[in-house]
Amino acid sequence: MPKSHDFVKHNCDHYDGHCYDHLDKRKYGDEADICIVGAGAAGGVLAYGLSRAGFKVVAIEAGPFWNPQTDFASDELSMQSLAWNDTRLVAGNDPLAMGHNNSGRGVGGGTVHFTGVFYRFHESDFKVKTLDGVADDWPITYQDLDPYYEKIERDIAVSGPKHFPWGPFQGPYPYPEREPISANAEVFRKGCEKLGIRSVVAPLAINSGPFDGRPPCINRGFCNQGCKPNAKFSTLIHHIPKAIGQGAEVLSDCMVTQVHVDKAGKVTGVTFVHDGKEFFQKAKIIILAGYCIETPRLLMHSACPLFPNGLANSSGMVGKALMTHSGHDVYCKFHDEVRIYKGTPVLAATQEFYETDLSRGFVRGYTLNAHGSRPLGLAKNLVSKAGNWGEKLYDIMRDFNFYAQVTLVGEVLPSLNNSVTLSDEKDEYGMPRPLVTFSYGENDNKLIAHGVGKAQEILEAIGGEPAFVIPDTGHLLGACRMGNDPSNSVVDGFCRSHDIPNLYICSASVFVTSGGGNPTETVMAIAARTADYIVEEARKNSY
Amino acid sequence: MQENRTRYPSYDVLNEKDQWDEHTREIVIKRLGPFPKNKFLKEHEAEMIYAIARHVVYDQRKEILDYVVHHLDNTLSSPMGENQRKVGTPEQKILVRRGLKATDNLAKEQYGAPFLKIDVQQQFSILDDLARGKAMTSEDWQGIPQKEFFKKLATEIVNAYYSHPTVWSEIGYGGPAYPRGYVRVEMGLTDPWEAKRDAKES
Repeated sequence: MPKSHDFVKHNCDHYDGHCYDHLDKRKYGDEADICIVGAGAAGGVLAYGLSRAGFKVVAIEAGPFWNPQTDFASDELSMQSLAWNDTRLVAGNDPLAMGHNNSGRGVGGGTVHFTGVFYRFHESDFKVKTLDGVADDWPITYQDLDPYYEKIERDIAVSGPKHFPWGPFQGPYPYPEREPISANAEVFRKGCEKLGIRSVVAPLAINSGPFDGRPPCINRGFCNQGCKPNAKFSTLIHHIPKAIGQGAEVLSDCMVTQVHVDKAGKVTGVTFVHDGKEFFQKAKIIILAGYCIETPRLLMHSACPLFPNGLANSSGMVGKALMTHSGHDVYCKFHDEVRIYKGTPVLAATQEFYETDLSRGFVRGYTLNAHGSRPLGLAKNLVSKAGNWGEKLYDIMRDFNFYAQVTLVGEVLPSLNNSVTLSDEKDEYGMPRPLVTFSYGENDNKLIAHGVGKAQEILEAIGGEPAFVIPDTGHLLGACRMGNDPSNSVVDGFCRSHDIPNLYICSASVFVTSGGGNPTETVMAIAARTADYIVEEARKNSY
Repeated sequence: MQENRTRYPSYDVLNEKDQWDEHTREIVIKRLGPFPKNKFLKEHEAEMIYAIARHVVYDQRKEILDYVVHHLDNTLSSPMGENQRKVGTPEQKILVRRGLKATDNLAKEQYGAPFLKIDVQQQFSILDDLARGKAMTSEDWQGIPQKEFFKKLATEIVNAYYSHPTVWSEIGYGGPAYPRGYVRVEMGLTDPWEAKRDAKES
């Protein structure tokens, strides 16, 4: 593809490692209306929505501005660099693996290497306390997000089935479902069929036909390594170029290290570091969209005499109630080749076990995704998470082509013991490294056992032989949760911090509960709603 | 160790390398060597990692293990973070350097010779103990959790090994597929250039 036609270069000032020579001569160097910290799933939606509404928007991203053509490779090892690789200290009974399974670094954030699985949450997800007597209700309902789910799906042409049998949205999706589906997805669907479990072709933020100058998927299979053809949606190739086209400025390779507050208790701007040099970005409104570890870390690190426990933290809830999804990978061996490396990783799924069913002995539920893998992803998990090495590892890997895989996306209930705090160790910026503490609760473990058992049943029903289970996790959620009560939450239902009127926090960090499905669509819907709210508020008042 | 290594004896993923995009091709071909001098690992450390890698990946082919050692050296000399580190575990440079030294001393204490001079069975026994965090402790292991040490080494060894194209060929992995993609993805279908099983195998 000639460079002049490159999709990403279009409307983009920061390309191929090129940034302004002098960060002192920035577009909104004097002052921006809105400064967004983090150019991922939420930050991109905000940057586009707010720049289109006429605001001067600056998005500051710690990592690089990737070019899919020259930076992405069809290779697992080299593409581990798409994750947030900075060292986080981990603790608890079930210390979290960090990095590729739950974070991104660079413009586009985690969407650059996500599988593109695109689910709405269900109505019950927003009122877990009312329905199940656990966790807390959200300050918003499904109906509040419904128009934004619809908008996001339309904006990026989500492909999916004509009929989706679970939750309030039953389809159809804007673009037809993907076909053909991979052998791994076929095996899963046939197993479900035998057991009377409904399954669907997964709704995906991946083109099933040409859209917006981008081609349909070619089943290359490297969604988790960055999509080279640009068939998979990512913030990098969708919202960010569009935001730049609307006048937004994106500063990449710039790490925000501090949020500043004036004597009146309003935020005034941020300090960021580029190439070892510090800069200041002044802004009327600051939105932290740096996900679940960096956001609470930045808030706590920005403590000042007026806010000695960190910004937006009068409740003490900053960094508390961090969640993940249990993401166990279940493998069965087949007589014939399945070849899980081929095609889009997730092409089939069931949410038959999503809602609470007390006869199972636990509350809430999960999604099962038929999930592909490439050799390194499997081998690395086998050694680091399941303790297989030597002859055992070799025996499994020799038969790589004969396994089918199903992956759990299980709800994890919030617990105040699961947290992000500041450690005594400093990173390269002189900021304290985050300490991430996580342990599963009793309900979580019962749910996992059920989900793993069900995944095995499905594959056994079609002739698979249970082979091994890899305990894994995916996604991060919470640690700056939303709520109506400022004494036990950090932001309100529009992601505005209770304590500081011109500070917003908008990412998966505001989740009250985790839901039992992939969260990206909900993150983006919340961001779209926050963007609308900020536009409305600006019309009504001036900051 | 080498018998029956593959179900795809006639397949070589590198035959397809001209079909790969240039960036990917460059990255993968570099894994065939030659490799620059180690930047972090001292010679004895590199030899120990080589020996440990033979056990971890159950293979002894020099051309692959040389790349494994090179990858370890690259990782340990890089300023990149290590994603996560358990509280109480030192950073990887220290963990590996001190862990290797402690392993060598353990071999001397248990078998009367350094790790590289004891037999393969004895080496395996030490690694198996370390993997379970059950090896004899001594002052050498102060602040070096055995399990974390073994896991760090084993994970990086596996990272490199399963990124080597020779290993991709053996397990019948189609490998990079851009710009052409995979066309026949359904059950039982393969693209013409993908690995085909030995016809004699059932």
